Amino acid sequence: MTARQDTTEIRISPTNVAAVMTLLHDDPGFRFLILSDLCGVDTGSAMQVVYHLWSDSTPDWLRVIVDGLPRDDPRAPSVTFLWNGAEWAEREAYDMFGIIFEGNRDLRRIYMPPDYQSFPLRKDFLLADDAARSPGQGVRHMEQTFQPAEYRRTPVLRQGLGSDAGQMAPGIQTAILSSGEDPAR
Amino acid sequence: MTTEQTIRSLDDPDLFVETPGTIYDAIPPLPPRTEREAEFYAMRDGEMLINLGPQHPSTHGVLRVVLKIDGERVVDLDPVLGYLHRGVEKICENGDWHHAISNCDPLEYIAAMFSEAMPVMVAEKLLDLEVPRRAEYIRVLAWELNRISSHALFVGWLALDLGGLTPVLYGFIERDEIVEMLAALTGQRLLFNYLRIGGVNGDLNHDFLSRLGDWMGNALKRIEDQQKLLNSNEIFVARTRGLGVVDRDMARRTLLSGPVLRATGIPYDVRRAHPYSVYPELEFTIPTREEGDSYARYLLHLDEIKQSIHIIDQVLHRMPDGPVMAKVPRLMRIPPGRAYVSIESPRGQYSAYGMSDGSDQPFRLRIHDPSFFNLQAVGLLMPGNLVADTMAIMASVDPIMGGIDK
Repeated sequence: MTARQDTTEIRISPTNVAAVMTLLHDDPGFRFLILSDLCGVDTGSAMQVVYHLWSDSTPDWLRVIVDGLPRDDPRAPSVTFLWNGAEWAEREAYDMFGIIFEGNRDLRRIYMPPDYQSFPLRKDFLLADDAARSPGQGVRHMEQTFQPAEYRRTPVLRQGLGSDAGQMAPGIQTAILSSGEDPAR
Repeated sequence: MTTEQTIRSLDDPDLFVETPGTIYDAIPPLPPRTEREAEFYAMRDGEMLINLGPQHPSTHGVLRVVLKIDGERVVDLDPVLGYLHRGVEKICENGDWHHAISNCDPLEYIAAMFSEAMPVMVAEKLLDLEVPRRAEYIRVLAWELNRISSHALFVGWLALDLGGLTPVLYGFIERDEIVEMLAALTGQRLLFNYLRIGGVNGDLNHDFLSRLGDWMGNALKRIEDQQKLLNSNEIFVARTRGLGVVDRDMARRTLLSGPVLRATGIPYDVRRAHPYSVYPELEFTIPTREEGDSYARYLLHLDEIKQSIHIIDQVLHRMPDGPVMAKVPRLMRIPPGRAYVSIESPRGQYSAYGMSDGSDQPFRLRIHDPSFFNLQAVGLLMPGNLVADTMAIMASVDPIMGGIDK
């Protein structure tokens, strides 16, 4: 009934974002004037920024996946120079995933309080009552300051983002290799 | 060793311990964190900051706005979100696909039939599932009824924020009848949890159809009554005409959608731009207005109500027989893949981007809420207007904080 295969997908690297998006937006052959959505994705191994574009010249959505952002320092250029409405969407992706959009003038946290430390939609952020995936771990504080029990043996990457309250340009500080001690116990 | 007892006076500055900075920090926060914040909190002579909300009846939820004013004029504003943030996307990742339906319900709580469609349609697209035609027609029927109830309330709220109490009562008459009708169909008045992956939960019943028949008989007349009430009201027209004007270029650049976009003359409606469900089979027009101001948005909502009544009329006449659920297993594993679906909600383009890794839980479910982007545009519309008009502008883009804060 509805068209199932209605999305064209392209994958680009973060360095090409500005050029590709400008071409798609300005070229009279493409005319992708409407940015339908912008979101961040954590695949577990890398970060992505996913754009969905719409043009009146084609019935398909165009999905542009900016792939391969490193998890410890995800950076992508901002598209606010084309769509200034992308500013809040980028703030949301920063808030939830820690993706830094270079060129966004207002990259603050949008939902979580400014002194919040972690990025809730990352895959290594487990919920306190996440019984289905981490049985028997008890109730933890929602903001994860230590790693779950099954990963405790091996050194793991922990996001060491200090409070960004004092910085002019927010940025992820160097990821700290934690030895796996549980500070809560 | 003797300890000397000292009695400290209240003037002693050491008596009070300085607490470290929290979210309750005084504004402006120093030093500014971003370029924009530095610009916002750089005060010129005669400017003043006032705090609006988070608990204010006109913010349509729990929204805090820091207004920078010069006399009665708004110079700039800084909306502060997050008071209603529940992390729905994260919760959806931790439940299975069926849980996501009821988790997405309270996003757009005025028109929950649209937000709950998101996980359903993403899963159907990933499964490549054919939904029975009767179920599609029932969905369209429920969507359009919900759109009318939401638009009727919009008209009332807009007038209420301008100081007129009567229209909101008329709006609630309309809404209450529809909500009772949908309660007869779904069992719920507000958060329906009615759509299912592969169809809908329950067929049309006699109670629903008789209520719908009663309502359809005089729906158009009542909408026209409501129109007469406000269209010829001099105060209402004077306060909305020319207020909060959006032009086409700005509408596109700020990712506006829905009535706010169509009031600028761009006929972008997902039901036609990228058809879904059975909308290609139905006749309706996309009303547009050229002015782009609050009054145009108000008139456009009334036009859309009439189009929705027209759609409901066709749906009732063409309703096919058959099952309302496709044959799907109760516990289903969704094949791996990525899917993007988009529908036209009363506030604009409601879309979702879903990823599945082959398990029964969504790997990622991104919900795009139109209110979020429409509220962002309010920040560009307000400067230069009177403080008293800010709420009229906000009401005219009709934000729902449940979806904005997710």
